[in-house]
Amino acid sequence: MAKTIAIHSFRGGTGKSNTTANLACLLAGMGRRVGIVDTDLQSPGIHVLFGLDAKGPGYALNDFLWGKCEVTRAAYDVTAAAESSSGGRLFLIPASIRAGDIARVLHYGYDVNLLKEGYHRLIGDLSLDFLFVDTHPGLNEETLLSIAISDILLILLRPDHQDYQGTSVTVEISRQLEVPRTCLVLNKVPENFDRAALAAKVSAAYDCKVVGVLNHEDQMMTLASSGIFVIRYPDHPLSSEFKSIVREVGQ
Amino acid sequence: MRAGKIILAGCLWGAVYGIMNGISNTVLLPSAPFISIRPQIALPMVIGIISHPSAGFLVGFTGNLIGDGISGFGLWKFWNWHLANGLIGFLPGMIVRYAGIGKIATVRDFGILEMGVIAASAVSVGAAVLLDYGFLHFMNFPESFPSWILPAFLTDAVNGFILVPAVLIMARRLILTLETRTILLITTLLVLAILSTAISITWSVWDDLVSTEAMIENFYLAGIISVLFIVAGFVASIAFIRRITDPVSRLILAAEEVEKGRYDLAALEPISRRSDELGQLSRVLQVMADQVRKRENHLLLQVQELQIKIDLDRKAKDVAEIVETEYFQTLKKRAKEFRAS
Repeated sequence: MAKTIAIHSFRGGTGKSNTTANLACLLAGMGRRVGIVDTDLQSPGIHVLFGLDAKGPGYALNDFLWGKCEVTRAAYDVTAAAESSSGGRLFLIPASIRAGDIARVLHYGYDVNLLKEGYHRLIGDLSLDFLFVDTHPGLNEETLLSIAISDILLILLRPDHQDYQGTSVTVEISRQLEVPRTCLVLNKVPENFDRAALAAKVSAAYDCKVVGVLNHEDQMMTLASSGIFVIRYPDHPLSSEFKSIVREVGQ
Repeated sequence: MRAGKIILAGCLWGAVYGIMNGISNTVLLPSAPFISIRPQIALPMVIGIISHPSAGFLVGFTGNLIGDGISGFGLWKFWNWHLANGLIGFLPGMIVRYAGIGKIATVRDFGILEMGVIAASAVSVGAAVLLDYGFLHFMNFPESFPSWILPAFLTDAVNGFILVPAVLIMARRLILTLETRTILLITTLLVLAILSTAISITWSVWDDLVSTEAMIENFYLAGIISVLFIVAGFVASIAFIRRITDPVSRLILAAEEVEKGRYDLAALEPISRRSDELGQLSRVLQVMADQVRKRENHLLLQVQELQIKIDLDRKAKDVAEIVETEYFQTLKKRAKEFRAS
């Protein structure tokens, strides 16, 4: 039974794309078949991490949503980035970064229900074990849909006031939508914070499990948007934290 | 006021210098013709450096005057040497000032100081000799060179060379830094090596020139003394070097402690009290570790006090805004069947 994992955060810049890419690579490295859909149509970005040229002539998620192609035509095999040697596969369905496409999404929107169809087809046609949905920050229609159909919702937040407030809304919405599992991941936590104490506090405040506490890492910043951290620095403490998140959500 | 102070210092120290001159003029040491022991020569030089070049001049001038009086040479008979002693006090201070040296802390400062001492000895003895040649005619040339002029220059130069830095260390005008420690070590070894040879040769030829055997015997003795000096110098230099390298390894250990998150660097206290670069490094490290600890404690405290404050009214409003839409209601009804499919 395939699992759909939606990754969400209240605000932008929390590290959604990075976290998604790292978790997906780890799962692919463990021999799983994994897909990533970039539904952040207004500000796409995850393709950069996999070195994919989203400006190229190929199809993107946008083309599927406008009925131009089958969803699987927009899926690119990026297994090489995960350096998997155990038969795992990794597919990326990017969002278009062509200015016209982004403007069109902003102006006309698209049939949100088609997105659900797309997920369904991807899981079936690519025989996926996991489908990651990298969402747009905030709670617009496609994000609500992605949350509604996900088996696991991972909410990323930074330890600051605005994120605390926004996360409370998302957690409540996920409860109303009866999402089977909602987990929190704390990201960009300053190194000298007491991680365990922070996790306990946050977990108690939302009555929600904290599955990872990711430190703010300079190396991550240096790597910026090129390359996958867990592949580049497999022995780094941050990579072990990603692995423990994967153990939580990959069961 | 300033001038008054200079004159006071000059006269007081001049009196001390004079009394010491009076004593050493009466006690003639066996090796006197070569290098006599005249530690007081450092006095006018040091005063000239610490106080003012003119104060140094006064010390030298009045001191020699008083010394000659005590010894019964006649107050003004050797007036050229009063002037020479004045110059010896004046020149090192002048040179150090001209080079812009405050505290002596580097090899450059130290080099200028020692060169100043030697130059002052040479110029002042030279001046005394010229004045004698021109006016007084006590000396015979060239006979006076080995018996009077050269010993005077050597005595002043060597005593000053050794003692001026030593007194300046005590006066805290010469700071012990890694640079000055190193140059002091080298200088000490050089002086010990030269002195051991010079003293033992002087000794060996002093009162026994009658037999070859006796002379050979004395040279053997001179050799042994030189070896003893070298051994002593070697042991001393090991001790000097350990004084530098031991703190370095302890500083490295302390830095490693900080790396491991242990910030109590009280163990560095003895090093921090040093006046040199290592002391400075040690103090900086202690302060730094303390700052890091304070900042870390501050942050830990912040987390402990951290309240996850959620504005419940706002949250309810935000949630309602979404939940009350038709879209959401449809989505909610169909969410389960979506997942099941």
